[in-house]
Amino acid sequence: MPFEVIFGAWVATGLTLFILTFLYEDNPLFKIAEHLYVGVSVGYAIVKTYDTVVIRLIYEPMVKQGDWSLLVPLVIGSLMLARYVPKAAWMSRIAFAFVVGVGSGLAIPRVISSYILKQIEDTVRPLVSLATDGSTTFTYSLLDPASNLNAIVLLIGVVSVLFYFFFSVEHTGPGKVVARTGILFLMIAFGAAFGYTVMARMSLLIGRLSDLIDYSHPEYGRATWWLLAVTIATLIAFRARRRGTEPPQ
Amino acid sequence: MTFLRRQLPVLVTFVTGILFAAQYYVPHPLSEQMLTSVSKWLQIIGGFALVLGVTSLFHIHAVKIRRKEPGWGYSFVLYAGMVGTIVIGLWHGGKETTDGVTTAFGWIYSFMMVPLQGTMFAILAFFIASAAYRSFRARSREAAVLLIAAVIVMLGRVPLGEHLIPVSGDITQWILNVLNASVRRAILIGISLGAVALSLKIIFGVERAYLGGGKE
Amino acid sequence: MSLAERMLSIDRRIIFLMIGLCTLIPLLYPVGLAIKVSPEVKSVYDYIESLPAGSVFLLSLDFDPASKPELYPQAVALMRHAFKKNLRVIGMTLWLPGTGMANEVVSRIAREEGKVAGKDYVFLGWSPGGGSVIINMGQDLYKAFPTDYNNQPTRDLAVLNGVQSLRDVNYVVSLAAGTTGIETWYVFGKDKYKFELGGGCTGVIAPGLYPLLRSGQINGLIGGLRGAAEYEVLIGKKGKAVAGMDAQSATHFAIILLVILCNVFYFSIRTSGKTAGQH
Repeated sequence: MPFEVIFGAWVATGLTLFILTFLYEDNPLFKIAEHLYVGVSVGYAIVKTYDTVVIRLIYEPMVKQGDWSLLVPLVIGSLMLARYVPKAAWMSRIAFAFVVGVGSGLAIPRVISSYILKQIEDTVRPLVSLATDGSTTFTYSLLDPASNLNAIVLLIGVVSVLFYFFFSVEHTGPGKVVARTGILFLMIAFGAAFGYTVMARMSLLIGRLSDLIDYSHPEYGRATWWLLAVTIATLIAFRARRRGTEPPQ
Repeated sequence: MTFLRRQLPVLVTFVTGILFAAQYYVPHPLSEQMLTSVSKWLQIIGGFALVLGVTSLFHIHAVKIRRKEPGWGYSFVLYAGMVGTIVIGLWHGGKETTDGVTTAFGWIYSFMMVPLQGTMFAILAFFIASAAYRSFRARSREAAVLLIAAVIVMLGRVPLGEHLIPVSGDITQWILNVLNASVRRAILIGISLGAVALSLKIIFGVERAYLGGGKE
Repeated sequence: MSLAERMLSIDRRIIFLMIGLCTLIPLLYPVGLAIKVSPEVKSVYDYIESLPAGSVFLLSLDFDPASKPELYPQAVALMRHAFKKNLRVIGMTLWLPGTGMANEVVSRIAREEGKVAGKDYVFLGWSPGGGSVIINMGQDLYKAFPTDYNNQPTRDLAVLNGVQSLRDVNYVVSLAAGTTGIETWYVFGKDKYKFELGGGCTGVIAPGLYPLLRSGQINGLIGGLRGAAEYEVLIGKKGKAVAGMDAQSATHFAIILLVILCNVFYFSIRTSGKTAGQH
């Protein structure tokens, strides 16, 4: 295995363990890793932005291919940065106005089409189905999301939740029944969301621990074991030093 | 001058907003050409917007180092990481690999950035477990419903749960595809109506908080 | 302090240790329980299966290293499937921090499947703008990405023969970790340019995408590590996702146990409080 891969495995393992020390208590190892994370992430973003935006999207098309119309976004982008010059900061408003105006204009018809019309269309499905012989039939399989019974449940759910969030009307009488139905649906959905969130977070931990297990093998020099020992020893040393500097009770 | 500072930005928002909302319904080649050009411009302007976020981070930590505030050493680590990554990245032309060989920039990405970011979010697993133990109590009927739904979904989405209680998988599918879908649909419709209303307010100059920046 | 009160105020590091062990032990000693495939994952698989060789498949890896454990196995499984079907694969990302990872997975899987860059696949890289990139690709792919990630002019690439814009792409799958993901691909892409769209996502955002799945706006959804495991089972090549399922089972049961215990202790305190009040 190449040296840079083994060295990289040691660095990755060390940084992973430094972050995990936060589970014991906040400590300098975690703080170093945390600040390094921010620094490296921002540095990476700056390099990629420079390479993609400045070189590939501006310099090469403008200078090498002669597309001078790109001067327009270059000027607008530069106006944005005028925000940092107090006397000229007002010019950044024009840049923001352009971006927000175009963004809002692009979004309105697309959002209406995708999220409102299409979603309502799927909610108001027929409550009975047509069988092959032309007669109407009512399908009630709960396991089939497209069944007629589920279409009714879906309709009730959408209407009751929308009504629950409609605060201009007091939720009394029949309205109270609808609102309480909405709350019931909401609680079930939030429960499902919590279950999925647990699944997601555990998956992230499984991924990191899988890597630590891989890096504990001999071909990586048993990085996990050695660095685990060093990390624990360092935490004990920090604790002892803190106890030593604490005033006697 | 007041026109340039006050009215012009609002006018720019109005004109561009109406133009691009109308563009969706106009399939004429000129309209499509305008959309192609401006979407390209937005890609470039989006890159400039990233600079704004980065600059404030620079400033906060530079002040900390200059004033030698408590924890300034960590700010130094941040700067060292940032500057080191930038120098090495620019040296390799922003590429993680060259002809299939990993560069030093790629090494920093694979062995520093990926494990750091991955672990930062992985420790949330521990906190979600601790929070669930301390606060996930069935204090009311609604909370009990939430709890039961969560337990069913947690059982139904893992092989052991489906193995022990086969029906948990089917109930989970029904919860997700019907009950959850209906709630999320209602929330999506509501949020979208709000977003459209806000966009219209922005275009017509009723909402101007996005302008910010500088005295009028 | 009663037992219930002491148990509810237990040091949280004991819970951390419990979760750590529930994750580690099944990873070291896997059991390998059967994984049932859900209809929404099968839909994505069936659609790719139905595509003839030479069809254009665009995989947008819209995630960063934080979501790698969930979405990287999905990317691996989808790409293996696409290459086995001899589809022309276009890789890209809308998330800047994920660029290096996206490039690595596309190149590595292509190499393992014996595919050639420029002829069988291309990695376009990242471009800022989210929705604007998609619109630009929908209008003219070569204006959005004049060069690929390795600075090769995209117009000269054999893999993009006959592809002028997103209208010429047969199937797009977005593997998303948040906003600027599947919804963005639908709103700014499929709504106007009418390609077929599938999705893969983290467990956190999966429930929010079911309305789009039910309305047919996306034709399938691969949710989280479980979805990745199901896809690995379908393509017959088990990887990291299947390997993680036992640990997933153990941790879920641990959380369920913690929640049950929490409620048992809570109700015990409430009941003894009521009894004390009555006396």
